[in-house]
Amino acid sequence: MGRPRGFSEAAVLQAATEIFTRGGYAGTSVDDLVKGLNLHRGSLYKAFGSKHGLFLAVLRHCLERQLAAVIQPAITGDTAASELIDKLTRAPELDLLLVAAVERGPQDAEVAALVRTALLMIEQATEAADPRPADGATARPARAIELLGVRLFERLYPEPDHPHRPTRPTRGSTKET
Amino acid sequence: MAIVSIDGSNLTVVLQGLDKLWALKSRLTIPLAHVRGATADPGIVREPKGWRSPGAHIPGLIVAGTFRQDGQKVFWDVHDRDKAVVIELRDDEYQRLVLEVEDPRAVVELIESALTQR
Repeated sequence: MGRPRGFSEAAVLQAATEIFTRGGYAGTSVDDLVKGLNLHRGSLYKAFGSKHGLFLAVLRHCLERQLAAVIQPAITGDTAASELIDKLTRAPELDLLLVAAVERGPQDAEVAALVRTALLMIEQATEAADPRPADGATARPARAIELLGVRLFERLYPEPDHPHRPTRPTRGSTKET
Repeated sequence: MAIVSIDGSNLTVVLQGLDKLWALKSRLTIPLAHVRGATADPGIVREPKGWRSPGAHIPGLIVAGTFRQDGQKVFWDVHDRDKAVVIELRDDEYQRLVLEVEDPRAVVELIESALTQR
C-alpha cells in the first residue's frame, strides 16, 4: 500500500531492461518484475497486457529512445568512431538485443523484426562514423556482428583489465586503451 | 482446471469437473480482439483477490468464480498455483482471467501466437 498508482513509463522500461538482461526472458518471473519495478501486479498487467507485452515495449524503447540517442549523432557525423563504439559496447541495450535474439528470435516474429531493425541501425551508424572499404569476403552486417561478438565476450570477462578481454572493434588512427 | 483453446476468432475456456459448480460457470467465450496477452504467473495466487461474487473461495484450497477488486472483475479458477496463467483482457466483462491449465507454457504460446497472427 502507499505506492503511487501512476508511474513513469520510461523509468519502468529502463528498469525492466536491466531485469531482463540479468535474468533472461524465460528466467524472469512476474514476481521478479513486480518486485524490481515496484509496481502492483494489476498495474503491470493493465499497462502491458502480459510479460511478452512488457518485453516488446522494452525492446521498442531500446530502439526508439536509447539506441536512437546514441546513433543519431553518428549518422549526422557528430560522433567520432571510437566514441560511438565505446558508447555502443557499454550500452545495456546491446545485452538486451543478445537476450532477445537468443531466447525469442526463433519463435517470436515481432521480437525478431525489432532486433533486425536495431542491428541495421547499429550497422548504418558505425559505417557512417568509420567507413571501411567494401570487401566481398567480409560477413554482413560486419560491424553489428563484431559489436555483438565483443559484447558477448565482455560478459565472460567482467573485469575490465582481464588479459583475454576482447578489444573494441575500432580501427584507423584511434588508439586502443 | 481449465481447457483453453482458440476457435476461429474466439478464445474458449472450458472448466473441468467440480470447478463448474464452484465457479457457477462451465464455459467462457471471449473474442480474440479482447485478449491483450497471456503470462504464466504462479506468484499471482498469493495476491489479494478482493470480494468473491459469485463463486467459491476456500483460502488455500479453491479459488473459483468472479472476484471484484478496485472496481474490476477478475475470473479465477486455480487450485495448483504452479499452473496459473493470467489472460489480460480489454473492453470485456472481465479485466483478466486467472486459470489453472495443464501446460502453462503451451497455453501462453498458443495465445501469443494467435495474437501475433491477427
